[in-house]
Formats: sequence, structure tokens, C-alpha cells
Amino acid sequence: MDEGTDLVDFAIDYAGKKGAEYTEARFERQEPENFILKNGVLDALDVGEDRGVGVRVLAHGALGFAATNDLTKGAVRQIVGDAMKGAKASRRKTRIRFAQEQTLEMNWSVPEEKRLADVPVEEKIREIADVDRAVTSLGFKVAARYFQLSSNRIMKYFANSEGSRIRSYSPRLRVFYFLTVVEGGDAEQTYRNYGWSGGWEGIRAWDLKDRVLDEARSMHKSLTEGKKSPEGKMDLVAGPQVAGIASHESCGHPTEADRVLGREASQAGKSFISPDGIGMRVGSEVVNVVDDPTVEHAIAFYLTDDEGVKARRRYLYKEGRVGEFLHNRETAAAMGTRSNGAARAVNYNLEAIVRMANTFVEPGDHSVEELLEGVKYGIYMKSFMEWNIDDKRYNAKYAGREAYVVENGEIKHPVRNTIIELTTPAFWSAVDAVGKDLEFEAGFCGKSDPGQALDASLGGPTIRLRNVYLR
Amino acid sequence: MEDLASRIVQKALSLGCQDAVADVVTNRSYQIRFARNEAVISNRWREKTASVFFVYENRVLTSDIKDLTKVDEAVERLVRIAKGSQQNPDYAGIAKGPFKYARSRPDPKVLALDEGGRYVEAAVGGALDEGAKECAGSFWKYDVEHFLATSNGASAHDHRASLYLSIRALVSLESSGHGIACATKLSRFEPEKAGHKAGRIAALARNPKPGKAGRYMVVFDPLIFGSLADQVGGRLSAWTVMAGLSPFGKKIGKRVASPAVTMIEDGSTDSIGHKRFDAEGVPTRRNTLIQKGVLKTYLHNTSTAKKFKTRTTGNAGLVFPEPHAIFVKPGDWTRDEIFSEVKDGLWLTNTWYTRYQSYLSGDLSTIPRDGIFHIRKGEVVESWKDIRVTDNLLRMTKSVVALSNKTEQMMWWGEVSVPNFVPYALIKDVGITRSAE
Repeated sequence: MDEGTDLVDFAIDYAGKKGAEYTEARFERQEPENFILKNGVLDALDVGEDRGVGVRVLAHGALGFAATNDLTKGAVRQIVGDAMKGAKASRRKTRIRFAQEQTLEMNWSVPEEKRLADVPVEEKIREIADVDRAVTSLGFKVAARYFQLSSNRIMKYFANSEGSRIRSYSPRLRVFYFLTVVEGGDAEQTYRNYGWSGGWEGIRAWDLKDRVLDEARSMHKSLTEGKKSPEGKMDLVAGPQVAGIASHESCGHPTEADRVLGREASQAGKSFISPDGIGMRVGSEVVNVVDDPTVEHAIAFYLTDDEGVKARRRYLYKEGRVGEFLHNRETAAAMGTRSNGAARAVNYNLEAIVRMANTFVEPGDHSVEELLEGVKYGIYMKSFMEWNIDDKRYNAKYAGREAYVVENGEIKHPVRNTIIELTTPAFWSAVDAVGKDLEFEAGFCGKSDPGQALDASLGGPTIRLRNVYLR
Repeated sequence: MEDLASRIVQKALSLGCQDAVADVVTNRSYQIRFARNEAVISNRWREKTASVFFVYENRVLTSDIKDLTKVDEAVERLVRIAKGSQQNPDYAGIAKGPFKYARSRPDPKVLALDEGGRYVEAAVGGALDEGAKECAGSFWKYDVEHFLATSNGASAHDHRASLYLSIRALVSLESSGHGIACATKLSRFEPEKAGHKAGRIAALARNPKPGKAGRYMVVFDPLIFGSLADQVGGRLSAWTVMAGLSPFGKKIGKRVASPAVTMIEDGSTDSIGHKRFDAEGVPTRRNTLIQKGVLKTYLHNTSTAKKFKTRTTGNAGLVFPEPHAIFVKPGDWTRDEIFSEVKDGLWLTNTWYTRYQSYLSGDLSTIPRDGIFHIRKGEVVESWKDIRVTDNLLRMTKSVVALSNKTEQMMWWGEVSVPNFVPYALIKDVGITRSAE
């Protein structure tokens, strides 16, 4: 029998006997491997072989969750009891319901051309050390270098009391780097994050060394040639990294139904979009922002969510209006709709909540050159460093890392620390054209308590905004 | 469990490791999350893990062993993997034991607590009494037990238990307040007080007006000052300094804060961050980080201490030094005196999403949330919204004008990651920006 099956099935059966109205259980085995190369020194190699079972029950109109890494029937019996007890103790006045969903029996896995498990750690270290060495040979001072390579192999078995039985396998690869370039007592810093669902072949898909070297060179150029960014209203051409973070922060997060309903109010916050906000205008008609778990090789790829619901593309903003919320079964029932498969958990020991997967601005048909050609005077911001947004997802800030002045369609000198500080509608309403150069970066999206930092992709093509205030 | 930790260490040594640490951790924590004034889920964990640190010919490996029924096989596998890793020339060993530890035991009443619904109800009730309409938050009973053994003779046990409640009260989407209750003793746990504070701020924050950009004298409530203190504490890890992630590099002995600021790191004093020992088994102790505005030390483990030609401060994580708990020494101002000092300024009660443009310079921004108040002549004249603190960490710490004479214990989701005791703070010329029209 496949690993975890007997315990998960036992948990479902036992919870039913204990009176649960609904039960779901997840077995997960995760095999993470992670190292940091800091200034050329490998501090430590971290490897894991994590596994356990989590059980969530709906009983007495309330939810109870419990988890253990003791893979015995006795321990599972105990956590079912814990979950039932917790649900009963909730004494809710309003009953939690789950939206009715199709039961699924399926196996799915992400293919690996070269299995992550078959690549010796020496080879992985060599790959990153080679990039690090190249950075040190650039001819200017890269004062601090930090590279992190992470991989994980995630095997899950999900079952619920309605008859769903789903087994899945997701191998994931990620590189994070952080660089500090120093020149004449001044410094420029950057970070980038690339992710991949699949095998070791992902390392080639990124062109990592070229990208890192280009980034370091642009940092040096900013330090030696960069001028103060102009202040005032002007056009902005924002590169894929900027479009990606904006789509995640001011489109994805405000359309998470649990935030809209207040379940995250104390931590990640609420949303400027109210529960009846579907159709509300937030951007121009060329703005289409989607969240899609089924994008091949994107780091948050999945075919079924952690409530056993089939994944599909969701239009968060459609032609500038709120299209749909991201739902799990609880929020869908509360809003009288169906789940769109957005329930995810970091591991077996945490409940599945509403999450983004791969969120991006849908590409248009302009080349970057065409977008720039239409700019008399403005800024071309290719990437950002500092960013944040308020907890209702209305006031966002993106501070430029690599940015240039554009005059009559031509890229001129670099500028430093260009600040975009705009409301969500002001940002998206100013978009008049969308490029076709769709790119993704990876991110860790934080939410919930205990915090669940989850794999997510942030993406977009280059977009052009007209007449926005920059400083 | 003590035997298990020792067995893991001995097994690693028998396989050729030069150093080994095993920390067998039993987690029996329990949580209630609540929203819209009632529980949304109850979570409980029953987990046992061995966190291990093995060094084979200066190749450092860390892992969590989850299957404690097959420990020998796991250690063999991990040492095999370590052999394929790269040597760390900066590795300088682990601290030499054995050590003596201060006595410590958790409050039996906290350990015996099996249900937290009444504390949620007390907090929510407190907030509703003040005029709040909607409350959300979390109640935690932390119950975590550690058995640690090292190859350098440390052998230690620590049973850590505490209570925590975080509540956000809302009158409307833009009128909210936050309250925190935390304690290691049941008798000192005050969730209702946290609820009242959250509700009071939320009620006062009714009908907020868009704020105005500028530089202001600002009263920092303990929760947001705790966030600032958390930034300082985290950036003082020697590891962050080495990685280019700190504005405190090369600043030992230099002024990094106003003379009003003395900051202590101390895992040995009572707090919900209390620990008897660090990840190398070194007893926790009191470390003065900033003395009257002057930086005295970074936080170290054995390896970073050697790099900086000093001694460990008892702050080892398995790889990175980290603070256990931060204490900002109270000042001699009353809370009322601090508010009275503000002729035309702000009172900020909470923040989130602190991000840096440059970790080296300390240029950052952070977004106040919950009550934001305009103060004139010491009195609240208006509730504000939609502003951002855009400033520099060192400029703000150097601009502390006054600290109140009482501290409160803080810890909060994301922003105050390490428990701290902080007073009200008055900081001058704080940069405030807002979204463009």
C-alpha cells in the first residue's frame, strides 16, 4: 500500500464514527534540501525528510485541526480526538459550511527530466559556486554575495469523507540571491528569486549566470552613472518584475475571499474590495490579471488543491473590473458560490487556507520597444527593491532598483530609487498598454497564523502607465 | 528523550563527525484562531522532532529528523550527505561544556490549561465593550519541551510554556486597534485588557481622514516601537552583518541610537522568549547590545564570535545567531508626559510590512495600521489613514527623544518576531509619506 494511505483512510473512518460531519486528512512527505553560499562560503547544508498527517474535521458547525508526525494508528486516533474536541469547544453561534464539490479520485505528478533526487549535492553546490565565482570576477566590488539553492520533493495523499482520494507528487527548485555592490562609499542592493516545478533541468531554464551578471553590472552602472530620479507626473514603463509584484500585492491579495470576509483580519488584514465587489472597476480595460495554478513549470503548479478541488485559471481582474475571488470551500459556501481550488497548506501540520498560486498580468501584444516608443518623457523601471502595501491592499509602494529616464522613446541614463507610491486603482487605471514579454519570478507569500510562507509565482509582461506621479 | 539526544550525538561521532548537536523537541502547542467575534478553527499539534547539527571535516549539515523510530538510519544517511557537502572555512566549532543552567520550570497552571475559549471570549468582550464591532486574532498555549545534547559535553532540558493572545478590533474597515497579551504565568495573562486596548483604539480611530506627508514628532505605542526594536535586534545578529543585511556593520563602539536608548538581549529573564540555553547548549545570559546609544556587541555563536575576535553571546541558532528576547530599558517619562510633549505630531499604534531599500544604510518604509492619530498640544484631534513611515532605521533610533517609564511585553505576527519588552517612545522628525493623488 502507498505511504500514508492506511493512516489517512483510518482517520476519515474514525472521525466519522466519532460524529464528524465532514473530515479530510492529508499525509505529506517532504524532502527539502537547502544551502546558502554566503560570500563564497557554504555555511551549512540543510536536508530534511519530513512527514506526518493532519486531520481537519467539521463538527458542531465548527472546524478543528490537529497534526502529528507519529505515524501510528494510536497517534492518528489521538489527533482525530483533538480535532473533534477543538471543534466542539468553539461553541460557534453561526455554523461553518463547506461548498458542495465534485469528489475526485486521481493521481498526478509533475514530470522531471532529471530527477532532483538523482542530482548529487556536490553538483548543485558546484553550479551555484560557479555563478558566485563569476560575480567576483566582474572587476568591481561586490561586497556581499548571498546565494540560496532550495529544492523540495512533495508527496501527498489527500482523502475526505465524501470519497475524494488524491495522490500527488511535486518536485520544486528555487534559487534566491542577494547582492551588494559598493562603489565610492555608496552601495546598491538587490535580490531575485527564481522558481521551477520539475527536475534539475530548471537550473538551465533560468540562464542564471547571465542574469546574475547582468544584474550586478546594472547595479554598478546605477552607482557610477545613476542620477536622482525626477519628480512629478510622467509616464512609467514597468518591467515584468514590477508588474508581477503589483499583480500579487494589489490584485491577488485583495481578491482572497477569506480576507474579504475578515478571517485574516488580525494578521494579513482585510481587503478594500467588499464581498459584493465583483464587477467593481479597479483598472483600465486593458488590465487582465489572472491566478493560475496550472501554468506548467511555475513553482506553484498544482492540479488539485489541498481540499481536493480541481485547479483552474481564475480571472481576478477582467478588463479592469474585479472578476472573481479566490475561494476555498468555506469561503465559497459563505458567499454562495463554488470553490475555485485555491486552498493550500505549507505542510501536513497546517490547515489549508485561501492562497494565490501563479499570479500574473495577462500578456498583451506590444513589444517593449513599442511601449517605450510612445513615451515622450518618463521612467522605465525594470525592477524594484523595497516594496510594501497596506493591509487593505490599497496603498502600495515600489522603489526602483534598475530604472532609466526615457526621452522620446529612447532609454537614457539610469536613475536611482524611483518611488511609485500609488493607490491600487490609481496604478491599474493608468495602464494603457500591455506587453507580450511574460516572465515569472518566484516568491514566498506570507499569510495566516501560524505563518504559512508558501511558494508563489509573480509574473507579468512589461506594462505602460500614463501620467502617474513619481519621485 | 535526553537519552535519544545523546544517542544521536554518539552515533554521529561514531560515524566520524567532529561535532554534533541534537535537540529533541516535543511540541504540544494549541491554538484558537478567531474572526468575526468567534472561533474559526482550533489547531493542536503533537509532534516530536530531533533537530540535528553535524559537522564532518568542517562540512556543516543541519536537519530535522521526524521519524524517531529510525534514528540510527537517519543519522547514517545525513552523515553520508554531509560528506558530499563543501567545507566551511569559517566554522569554528561549538561551545565547550558542560554548563550549569539556571533553574526554570513552567507554570503548572499553564501546562494544565486544556481549553482557551474563555480567554478569546474575554478579549472579544473587552473590545466590544469599547465599541468595536468585529474582532479577530489568535490565542496560543505554547508548550514545547527541549532535550539537548552536544558532543562538547552540554546536556540540558528546558520546558517552555506560555500564553499569548493577539486581538484586532474593528469598528469599520479603516477604524481598528490592536492589543497583545502574553505571559508565562496564568495569573499574569490579561486577554481582556488586550481586548479593551484594541477596542479603545478602534473606537478612537472612527472616521479617519487621509493623512498628510511631512516630518512629525511621533509617539510610538509599544506595539509599533516593538517592531522597530525587532528590526534592531534582528539586524544585530553577526550573521546579518556578514551577509550585508544590516546597517550596523563596523559600528561597534559608535553611536547608533540616542542616549535615551539602552537595549538588552536576554533569554535568561522571564519572558515568553525565555530559554535556558542556545542551540550550542550555552546558557542564555544578559547581553547589553546598545548602552546609552552606543553599540556594544553583535549577537554571536561560536563561529561568528571567532570571526569577530570575541566570545559567543549565547545566541546560537543551528546556523545563525539570533536574539531570544529584547528589552528596551524604560525611560523616566510618564506616558502622559510623552503625549504632552507633542505640539503637532502623530501617535502611531501598530505597523506592518517593513521593507528596506538598502539594508546597509537602513533606508526603509513601513505602513502604520490600526489607530493613526494626529495630536496637537498632547491631545488627539483627528484620526488619520493611508500613511507610510518612510525613513531610516538609524536616523529613527538616533532621534528618540524620550521613553516612558513602563514597558510592555510584545510579540506580533511578522513584525515583532522575537518577544520584546518596550516602552512608549517619542521620536522626532519621522518621515511620513502617502500615495500620490
